[in-house]
Amino acid sequence: MVLLYLLEKEFKQFFRDPGLPKMAIAFPVLMMLVFPFAVSMEIRNVDLVVVDSNRSVASSKLVESCTASGYFNLVEVCDDPARAMQLMDRNKADAILTIESDFDRCLERGEALPVGVKVNTINGTKGSIGAGYLTSCIQRYYAENAPTQPTTAAAGPQLDVSSKYYFNTYLDYKKFMVPALIVIAITMLTGFFPALNIVSEKERGTIEQINVTPVNRGAFILCKLIPYWLVAFFVLTACLLIARWVFGYTCAGSVGLMYFFTAGNILVTAGMGLLISNYSDNAQQAMFVTWFFMMVFMLVSGIFTPIASMPGWAQAITYLNPMRYYADAMRGIYIKGSSLADVWTDAAGLLTIGAAMVSWAILSYKKTN
Amino acid sequence: MGAIEVDEVSKRYGTCQALERVSLDIRAGEIYGLIGPDGAGKTSLFRILVTLLLPDSGHARVEGLDVVKDFMAIRRRIGYMPGRFSLYQDLTVAENLDFFATMFGTTVADNYENIREIYSQIEPFRDRRAGKLSGGMKQKLALCCALVHRPTVLFLDEPTTGVDAVSRKEFWNMLYRIREAGVTILVSTPYMDEASLCDRISLIQQGHIIETGTPAAIVAQYPHRLFGVSGHPAYPLLKYLRRRNDLLRCFSFGSEHHVAVAPGTIAPDELQTQIRAAGFSDATVHEIEPNIEDCFMELAKKERQKA
Repeated sequence: MVLLYLLEKEFKQFFRDPGLPKMAIAFPVLMMLVFPFAVSMEIRNVDLVVVDSNRSVASSKLVESCTASGYFNLVEVCDDPARAMQLMDRNKADAILTIESDFDRCLERGEALPVGVKVNTINGTKGSIGAGYLTSCIQRYYAENAPTQPTTAAAGPQLDVSSKYYFNTYLDYKKFMVPALIVIAITMLTGFFPALNIVSEKERGTIEQINVTPVNRGAFILCKLIPYWLVAFFVLTACLLIARWVFGYTCAGSVGLMYFFTAGNILVTAGMGLLISNYSDNAQQAMFVTWFFMMVFMLVSGIFTPIASMPGWAQAITYLNPMRYYADAMRGIYIKGSSLADVWTDAAGLLTIGAAMVSWAILSYKKTN
Repeated sequence: MGAIEVDEVSKRYGTCQALERVSLDIRAGEIYGLIGPDGAGKTSLFRILVTLLLPDSGHARVEGLDVVKDFMAIRRRIGYMPGRFSLYQDLTVAENLDFFATMFGTTVADNYENIREIYSQIEPFRDRRAGKLSGGMKQKLALCCALVHRPTVLFLDEPTTGVDAVSRKEFWNMLYRIREAGVTILVSTPYMDEASLCDRISLIQQGHIIETGTPAAIVAQYPHRLFGVSGHPAYPLLKYLRRRNDLLRCFSFGSEHHVAVAPGTIAPDELQTQIRAAGFSDATVHEIEPNIEDCFMELAKKERQKA
């Protein structure tokens, strides 16, 4: 009875708030419609400047084959290397391809091709991936145009590696990001809302008025969690539907399992939110501390950079990061169709951290000063 | 057994001693006033008694229940109205009342008689959000919420701060009627004029209780004769009075100055002649009865001299 009434009060307050219901709707929509495009790691439109000192049919064919790949945007073809450098200095060029004057002769004789590649690595990812594309364009060109039996092993041993990408056959970055964005959206909403909710009760003094009633703290805290549980399920549903209608993606595994992990994640983030609010006196403090943890969690969660490529100590930290487990499980289920048997370690990690957070939150919610 | 017993309670925040060995004994069914300026420790004492704060040392009992050990039992029996309006501003009047009734495991209908008189005044606005009420109505709603579960002890922390004079008077009338139902009321206030409305009072200053008794008894203990002096210009007159060695204390009090003199030293007409001779030609002096504020000033000064 008391529990139901506390819940009713939370919902009334939630829907009467001028911002919260709108945010709960706008946030997942924005996350799903804008970010899959914006946070793409695919590199396109690398601005290319070519210094062609050869000016032969062969050299212009090379330039053509590079631009035809679709990754490059040909800015200029010039003769002067200094002019190309100047363009790079002015940020007009991401990569410079230099073709020496004996290019066509070397190609005929099957010698090493006299070409140079320079990349601008101010944006490291764009630079290194751009250089990779450019090298593979040149190699392909050499393979197609060199005499069938080269006299010298100019290009080194020739390997024909063919890759097959499982689960995301076309390396579609958006498909890779959809479950990750769901993870971010849910973690943010359920991390911030309960913390700010409790702190605002503190700021307005209403928490004292509750504290002088015989309501026990377990019931009070539970009533702060349940509404955000529902908000998170709503957000998850909205995200999955948008992914289906807009991008045509479906979950490869069990949708129920995604809800299960989401429930586990709320236990963690809402528990953390309550914990932070117990130690904060006002909304700014709670906001900043929550934001700080969210940033750390996100950056070392494996969402943007693979955990396996982090140094050992950073990898060790990720075991304390609830988002690591949640993100890993959600991606596994959504893209690969993992079952609970495959991701049970994630479930165990998430639930352990969640139980610890909630217990700490309940214990620390007491009368001090 | 008293309704509220406070025994040598101390509380310290860092280097600030909020309460130092405070003892009180409040009888069932009386309106007890805790009178003192801001920062005297009134709210800290309230928070200890309503089980929101743990004392560093000492014991306190509400209706025989210990505030630390039996806090849950105390919460069922008391009503608390904090100094700051702390109901849900985004819930309506009726929703707030229902909410607090439910939190205490009861309903508004069961206790309607208990709050009818006060609630009837705000009932026309039952569907208005609490945040949109005027100050006086907020106070009535808060009192209703504190009374809805039929508490036997009511704690009102500065209930009249920021409330206009008419509403204050009305509020005190409500308190008298609540008292008639047998409820013990502990009320704190920084307004000395409200002290005389209480059955008994304690004066509190910097965490110390400096005097306890009925307002009449405290006034009767005033050791000096008190003169009301008025004249123009007022401030130079005050400075002149303070320069004189034969007067004990001199405070500005509204349009008058209150001057304390040792009995048998100087008569009012004698003082008036001397003041007029000093250049304040329109000055008048007459003997007055001391009020609680005069007593407080006197006691606070003594307390400071002791420390």
